[in-house]
Amino acid sequence: MVYFDSAASTKPRTEILDSFLKSNQECFANPSSAHALGREADRRLDAARKKILDAFRLPAQYQVAFLSGATEANNLAIKGVAFSYQNRGKKLLFSAVEHPSVLEPIRYLAEHFGFIPVPLAVDSLGRVSLDTLREAMDKDVILVSIMGANNETGAVNDLASLGAIVHEYPKAFFHSDLTQAIGKMDIPFSSLDLFSYSAHKIHGVKQSGALVYKSSMRLVPCLHGGGQERGLRSGTGSVALDESLALATSLAMSSAHQATAHVRALWQRLRDGLQEEPVLLNSTEEGSPYILNFSLRNHKASVIMEALSQKGFYVSTMSACSERTDQASATLLAMGLPKELAGNAIRVSFSEDNTLEEVDAFLSHLHQILKEVHPR
Amino acid sequence: MNANMLMIHYGELSTKGANRKAFISCLLHNVRTAIKSFGLEAKGDRDHIYVYLKEDNAADVINRLKEVSGIQRISVVMKCAATLEDIKPSVLALLNDEKGVKTFKLDVKRVDKMFPLDSYGIAVEVADYVLDNSCYSVDLHNPDAKVKITLRPEACYLSCHDELGLGGYPLGMIGKVTTLLSGGIDSPVAAFSLMRRGIRVEALHFASPPYTSMAVLDKLRDILTCLNDYQTDIKLQILPFTKIQEAIYEHVPEPYCITIMRRMMIRLAVAVAKKNHCLAIATGESIGQVASQTLESIGVIEAVAESFPVLRPLCVEDKLSIIEKSKKIGTYDISIRPYEDCCTIFKPKKPKTKPRLEDCLYYESKFDYETLLKECLEGIETLYFSEDKETRKE
Repeated sequence: MVYFDSAASTKPRTEILDSFLKSNQECFANPSSAHALGREADRRLDAARKKILDAFRLPAQYQVAFLSGATEANNLAIKGVAFSYQNRGKKLLFSAVEHPSVLEPIRYLAEHFGFIPVPLAVDSLGRVSLDTLREAMDKDVILVSIMGANNETGAVNDLASLGAIVHEYPKAFFHSDLTQAIGKMDIPFSSLDLFSYSAHKIHGVKQSGALVYKSSMRLVPCLHGGGQERGLRSGTGSVALDESLALATSLAMSSAHQATAHVRALWQRLRDGLQEEPVLLNSTEEGSPYILNFSLRNHKASVIMEALSQKGFYVSTMSACSERTDQASATLLAMGLPKELAGNAIRVSFSEDNTLEEVDAFLSHLHQILKEVHPR
Repeated sequence: MNANMLMIHYGELSTKGANRKAFISCLLHNVRTAIKSFGLEAKGDRDHIYVYLKEDNAADVINRLKEVSGIQRISVVMKCAATLEDIKPSVLALLNDEKGVKTFKLDVKRVDKMFPLDSYGIAVEVADYVLDNSCYSVDLHNPDAKVKITLRPEACYLSCHDELGLGGYPLGMIGKVTTLLSGGIDSPVAAFSLMRRGIRVEALHFASPPYTSMAVLDKLRDILTCLNDYQTDIKLQILPFTKIQEAIYEHVPEPYCITIMRRMMIRLAVAVAKKNHCLAIATGESIGQVASQTLESIGVIEAVAESFPVLRPLCVEDKLSIIEKSKKIGTYDISIRPYEDCCTIFKPKKPKTKPRLEDCLYYESKFDYETLLKECLEGIETLYFSEDKETRKE
């Protein structure tokens, strides 16, 4: 089995699963309980928060809210800022190729609460240019949300320079969805006011993630109840989930440089091999080495994905799985690809566990499949 | 509920002459299988099957029986002693069980001619009692509840509530048919229509990976589990069809691809049917729906069956009525999941709607399909689906 779908989800590390099980066994009390066991659980949650801030080298002016993943974190960031600061302005800026968990909350706010959504066009490499952002900024903007690395193409944004432009406007906050970026690239954390990520993209467990935000910010919660997570997210905290997120974060951050160098070699080998095939590369060397997206020129992506799957190679297809549902990737369309290529892409995504041998085997099987399978 | 028995009416069975006994015993067997999980017993005679209830679960038992083919109606019945002293309070209790009843009518059938009162006399006596002891009134023309009182020598049967059954014939009476199952909307409805008519179904699926996703197997599993309500065990045979598809695509001009593909499918289906002692094959085709379902196409496609029967239960159904049926049996939501099936791949831009047999024979002579068909038949994978488990065999 060759797993090339780590942008969808990664295999949990054994030590993280061990920690998850052990925490559950040792520390099952409700962190809100006033007895010794509850206080112990609460203390461990705070330790996990500190461990995450340390991993990002962020000062104590930042706070960590433990959530169910990046989708919830993006929802909380966007709705939380919008509702809290709506008297300052109504404009919400976002890159046109954001994940649905960013696009949909903004659409919801526009539809039901009169906020003004301003999508930022991306260039042919899938990035928001500084000029585009500069032109769109004004005093009515309260939030700018631009992802670190794109989940489909791996396109990477210059968050430091973008952040500097946003912060020329003192009323605007800068949020970034770092789900595909944590542990996979250098991130200028201090340029961000708040950011989201998920544990299961960095070898942690699913249904776990965090929103990291400046503690001076006031956010309106999405979930109301017992007031956990400083009132931001009610619901009994899970020491096991949150400790495993902290462990996954610190492992990812400490191994980031080494891992990324290894993955870059995989990316380059795959890119070189694909030059020989009838495909169009939608990812570039400037982007994240963890993702390589390409469109098939002659074959149907869903068919090739199925053929690869039968051979034990697991990749994602960005194409609609049937001609009955006529969908193309909005990201690739936004980058200017014609519809037939935008609807016919395959995404290979790596983790540091993948090897050059796997890439070679993938290339040779893909070559064979493209030769054998009938064109569309 | 005061009811203590369900009475099953045979409906169309009554037209059967010499076969009647066999039909009844088949239905009785199917009814017993269906109600086994309730721990109930059933007894049959010339006119009815009786299910004796133990708990207050008539509604659940009726719902299960509504999935058994060969049942016309199900009456909820209360049995009491054949004496006026017993009948009177029983009728009142039955009326009290019904919701929203203000008016009633009594319908007395006096099978036991030795009973001292005649039908009218019984009705008057019972009605008097009900009127004296309740707020109900009599309405002979448009009653809210019509209570049937059937006096037999051994007991009196009371009922005021009928439910429609599935109709058709008892499953298994008519023999076995191999039916083509793509995963689309039509073929599961075709399979259901056969089952309802008493025909046992064995399913056949043509798989063309990688052109069709293997996810279609999940779809088929869900569809067959759904159909297990009507036939408790279903055999599914999966035929590896990729090589044949590729050969057709290579040798046959595009407009004829679908016609030739269907001819290959029918050849394979007939072979599988004969091998499994099935008496016919069935498809979900509806005349005129797509290019391969024009009368001309059906003619040249069916030619390869060489007079082996090909059934098309949906042949004159409207698409909307097929969709309605698929929603009713619960397969619609499964069928519309977006996966490609063997009919949507290699879709020609301009398929032939009036193909000619000579042309088909000419194109088929260009490649050795016999060998490919043989290989396909050797690679069949068989799965069995029954109400609570799926088993795989070679």
